[in-house]
Amino acid sequence: MSATAVAGTVARPARLRRRPTASFRWMVAPALLFAAGMIVLPFGWAIWLSLQETMIGGEARFIGLDNYRRLIADDEFWNGFRLTIVLWLLSLALQLVLGTWLGLLLARLDAARGLIRTVLISPFMLPPVVIGMMAIVILDPGLGVANWLLKEAGLPQLLFLADPDTVILTVALLDTWQWTPFVALIVLGGYLSLPRDVFEAAEIDGARAWQRFRRITLPLLAPTLVTAAVLRSVDLLRFFDVIYITTQGGPGHASTTLNILAYRRGFEFFEFGYAAALMVTLSAIVFGSVLTFARLRRAVAW
Amino acid sequence: MLRRTLAALAATALLAAPAVAQDFNWRAQEGRTVTLLLNNHPWSQAMREMSADFTARTGIRVRMEIFNEEQFRARLTTLMQGRSADVDVFMSLPSREGAVFKRAGWYTDLAPLIADRARTAPDFNYEDFGAGMRQQATLDGLVATLPINQEGPLFYWRRDIFQRCGIPEPRFVEDIPEAAAKLRACDANQGVWAARGLRGAVPYALTGFINNLGGSYATPDGKPGLCQPASVRGIEMYANLLKEYGPPGALNHTFTQVIELLGQGRIAMTHESSNEFANIVRFPGRAQDIGVRVLPPGRETGISRPVVIGWGLAISAHSRQRDAAWLFLQWATSTEVQTRLVQNGVAPPRASVFQGPAFTAWANEMPIRRAWADALVEIGRTGTGVYQSPTDRIPEARDIIGNAVQQVVLGRASARDAACAADAELARLQ
Repeated sequence: MSATAVAGTVARPARLRRRPTASFRWMVAPALLFAAGMIVLPFGWAIWLSLQETMIGGEARFIGLDNYRRLIADDEFWNGFRLTIVLWLLSLALQLVLGTWLGLLLARLDAARGLIRTVLISPFMLPPVVIGMMAIVILDPGLGVANWLLKEAGLPQLLFLADPDTVILTVALLDTWQWTPFVALIVLGGYLSLPRDVFEAAEIDGARAWQRFRRITLPLLAPTLVTAAVLRSVDLLRFFDVIYITTQGGPGHASTTLNILAYRRGFEFFEFGYAAALMVTLSAIVFGSVLTFARLRRAVAW
Repeated sequence: MLRRTLAALAATALLAAPAVAQDFNWRAQEGRTVTLLLNNHPWSQAMREMSADFTARTGIRVRMEIFNEEQFRARLTTLMQGRSADVDVFMSLPSREGAVFKRAGWYTDLAPLIADRARTAPDFNYEDFGAGMRQQATLDGLVATLPINQEGPLFYWRRDIFQRCGIPEPRFVEDIPEAAAKLRACDANQGVWAARGLRGAVPYALTGFINNLGGSYATPDGKPGLCQPASVRGIEMYANLLKEYGPPGALNHTFTQVIELLGQGRIAMTHESSNEFANIVRFPGRAQDIGVRVLPPGRETGISRPVVIGWGLAISAHSRQRDAAWLFLQWATSTEVQTRLVQNGVAPPRASVFQGPAFTAWANEMPIRRAWADALVEIGRTGTGVYQSPTDRIPEARDIIGNAVQQVVLGRASARDAACAADAELARLQ
């Protein structure tokens, strides 16, 4: 028996180390080619473009890192960077807190569970364009139903997307409305897969609900929450659709996030080189945040 | 009744056509398909239904992609930058993007096609398009587009509300803020004013105020001129009207919201596109109670210099269906089609249509239509296609100008400070 066990432990690494066969390489090749065609080449092209001065009708000119130097000196870039980070952190915090609360609430729900989950899915099934159009109609300070309801309730009316001081908060709330159920469903899945005996033991030991949540549920859910945070972060850092449809980056530059800025520079002002530099920088920020969360996930793993 | 009149006139035109049509083979490109990339515009909406007539006449199928202006521009840029042959015909505003698109080589020069007797219907008559329209569409000798409409911002006001409050119709541009104050005093529940506040959309409606008060986007030596005293007065008047009398949220408004507000009866005055006339009078009661005219001239200057622009149809330089596309352009800009398009509120750029019996009959049916038509004649005569400081980076310049107005509306800068700061930015685009 012992000999068999030894043989088994020796055999496994040997199998893992085996060199790929020719047929294996052929089978993998299409996927690799597809990945190269769809990811590596466009990204490489974007980096190459960011090193050039390229405008419609003009000859492309290699300018090295000048676009990046311009970016560092550009107030609009720093404004966009600040807004991107504020929108990301604000929305992420709201969605993780509300999503956890909603997910745990759903776990306790017995009646009409299927129906409620279906209803919860519906916001994030909507295309962002639809959300944007709905926001224009509902939140217009003069024409929208939101201010009409506030007025009927005797509350002060708001400017929502038309006020530079509230536009990012409004966009964050719109995104939170759409994506909190998504986080809630991830939390629910994570929670239902946790070992029940830990909770029972804590209950027997007399731990109160808050203590159970803080000392047991939250630490056990941490890897799930980090996964949700990664998925939402990638979306939030490159947030575009709803802002472009509702405000186009305004009022003033109050909602000109990095993605909006890059789009305008590229597609409206035809500065493709500078727009590419902005997008490469944004990609680096997204990549950095994913790496940070990957480290965090390892730290909270159990 | 109007439809019947126009149909009869169009039928008469068609009956008269065979003699000419016999000389020209409309079916030379039968079986081909042309792809159109269009901005969402009354012209495009009408074309959705009318293009079947083109197919019936030529045997050429039409594939149409219509997007809102921002998406339309993004798609056009992507396709043309990639030298794609996926689009054969696209809408273009030569006054806005003509110089850049020409430099990029995106336009097919239409001049040789117009001159080619084998490819062009004998009754096409290019000279029938207004001289100003032809001039806007011609870039250093290259004919970039065929005009499909003419448009410009007009002053719309509610005659019934003015009458109820005993306020005379504004005769000068300076009368507008005075009328606004009186309207507010007369009926505090009635909205007074709305206009474009969205950054890139502002200059189109702002320019009349600057020009009529004696200002200009350029100094006599060709530098940005927003900081000139008269230009500052124009910016101040436009921004203050929005700030003091505009609807909440005006800084995110473009023509869609403005027209909705006017149509629903929530405002008493606006300065908005002539294109929207058909949409406005579709709202109950508006055909009877609104007035429309060119923005009044300055009281001291006597100047009236409105904006007038015209969309055109261009053939992509990368198109592989150039001959079929040229047939579409001829048909879409023909007298017959333009006569029918008037029903959709598309102001015709052909003189023969504008002065023709069908258009005259249509305009004379209602006083408001006559007023609209007269206003269009006037902007065609006195208008300018320039509404930014001298540069060929036009969208960026308009964005900077719009931002200056927004800063004033937000109370973050005086008109003078915002205008002078904008001039410094605009100078970098020259």
